[in-house]
Amino acid sequence: MKLREIINKIFLIEIFKGLFLTLRMLFSKPVTIQYPLQRRKIYPGFRGRHALVRDPFTGNEKCIGCMRCTSVCPSRCIYIKREKTENKMIVTDYVIDASRCIFCAYCVEACPVCALVLTEDFEYSDYMRKNLIFNKEQLLKNWDEFASKWPYDVYFNKFWQPPGIDPSRWPKTKREQKPIPIKRFVEIKKEESDESSS
Amino acid sequence: METVYIILITTFKTLIYFGILMLHVAYATYAERKVIGHIQLRLGPMLVGPHGLLQPIADVVKLIFKEDIIPTKVDKAIFRIAPLISLTAALSTFAVIPVNKNWVISDINVGLLYVIGIAGIGTYGIIFSGWSSNSKYAFLGSLRSAAQMISYEVALGLSLVGVILMAESFNLTEIVNKQGEYWYGMFLFPQIIGYFVFVVAMLAETNRLPFDLPEAETELVAGYFVEYSGIRFSLFYLAEYLAMFCMSALATICFWGGWTIPPVLLKALPALGLIPGIVWFLLKVYFHIFLFFWLRGTLPRYRYDQLMAIGWKVLIPLALFNILVTSIFKYYL
Ligand code: SF4
Ligand code: SF4
Repeated sequence: MKLREIINKIFLIEIFKGLFLTLRMLFSKPVTIQYPLQRRKIYPGFRGRHALVRDPFTGNEKCIGCMRCTSVCPSRCIYIKREKTENKMIVTDYVIDASRCIFCAYCVEACPVCALVLTEDFEYSDYMRKNLIFNKEQLLKNWDEFASKWPYDVYFNKFWQPPGIDPSRWPKTKREQKPIPIKRFVEIKKEESDESSS
Repeated sequence: METVYIILITTFKTLIYFGILMLHVAYATYAERKVIGHIQLRLGPMLVGPHGLLQPIADVVKLIFKEDIIPTKVDKAIFRIAPLISLTAALSTFAVIPVNKNWVISDINVGLLYVIGIAGIGTYGIIFSGWSSNSKYAFLGSLRSAAQMISYEVALGLSLVGVILMAESFNLTEIVNKQGEYWYGMFLFPQIIGYFVFVVAMLAETNRLPFDLPEAETELVAGYFVEYSGIRFSLFYLAEYLAMFCMSALATICFWGGWTIPPVLLKALPALGLIPGIVWFLLKVYFHIFLFFWLRGTLPRYRYDQLMAIGWKVLIPLALFNILVTSIFKYYL
């Protein structure tokens, strides 16, 4: 064994092994994806740009201003301004500082009415930090953008439901969560019903 | 009249050499990025031109138009001169390198000594740049470089002594001709130890991985040229690549038989004789250039004390041993 080690050392066997390995790699197929030209498939549960879901029937945000997302957010980057009326909470502004967000999606899990999504949109870099602080209008617009690209009629994110927790412990709204119809689908439905009624 | 003729013809040759060399250097950077890329299962440059072929040209344009910053507290004159010294030293070596039978700018009798001497002058550029930059990192980088150059210059010189003994000449053309006397047409086999020492010392002399301590990015940001920008920085880059070509050419001439092919091969396939010598020469040079890239893609950087230990404790004794053995054989055979 000792002699073998000496021979290995003198003839640089390990270095030659390494050289052979890299030479073999030289002729194998590269794994690069030429990004702007080719794109890779986005997996379900991908956490991209934030969006507030727009209720397809009323056109307003679904958020009820319960503040759960704010309290669960580990980086404290959600700010909600709300006003109380006699029977309803009105969210006047809803701000997410995406430059501080760590994309843990706790906010998405915590929301009882599934009003918040991390969309699959990842191309939103900007030169200004200011532009990465999304207010309510921007968040709703993000949703519109995302929905217009979404190929199906309904959207449902299975990560809305906290994994590993027994469904019986989820809030009722969460348990009974239905996939959200996309606006354009709703409009088509509406037109159809208009036509049939007229 | 005679003198004017010589001057004109030399200038002409030099210009042609220069143009070809620059093109080679530009595409060596491209080849390096491609080779390293493929070793790491990436693609390397792909966007500029087909398969990124115009990338070197785009790089040159970019470097020329980049802002050239000279920091306030540097020694301005030396700061400006330093890259030029490196570049001139690297370029001058090519004056004596024969690329084909009688294709050489200047066929002098001490060619080998000249190349080794001039290659050492490149260190001045590095030390000047490090010192004049007035920055700790640059200075450390250049000091390291000086130590490294001295250690490996010795090994490099000694490894070539074997070749000189075999060829009984310093003239590079002569060395190549002498190799033709063997049936395999190379000094590679009797001088295998010398070749090994030469290759290691060559890597260290040109500051390439795994011996790129003067510019170790992780420790010294970039070493001696941190303060340089734009076109001045690219002159150092150019000098490094030129030194690579120079060392590869030297290895080809001294150990691989230059532009000749093994006589035994020529006898077996006489058709090979039709291929011009420069093709063989370039093939051999490219093999060495590829070796540089290949080693860069394989080996991690050495630690500083390891670098010194290899130089003084392994390479120099090996080279001396090689000289001893060669001399004994030369004397008795
Ligand atoms: S993903 Fe996490 S960090 Fe980002 S806003 Fe939601 S809870 Fe906060
Ligand atoms: S948890 Fe949902 S409903 Fe509650 S404030 Fe946040 S986004 Fe609105």
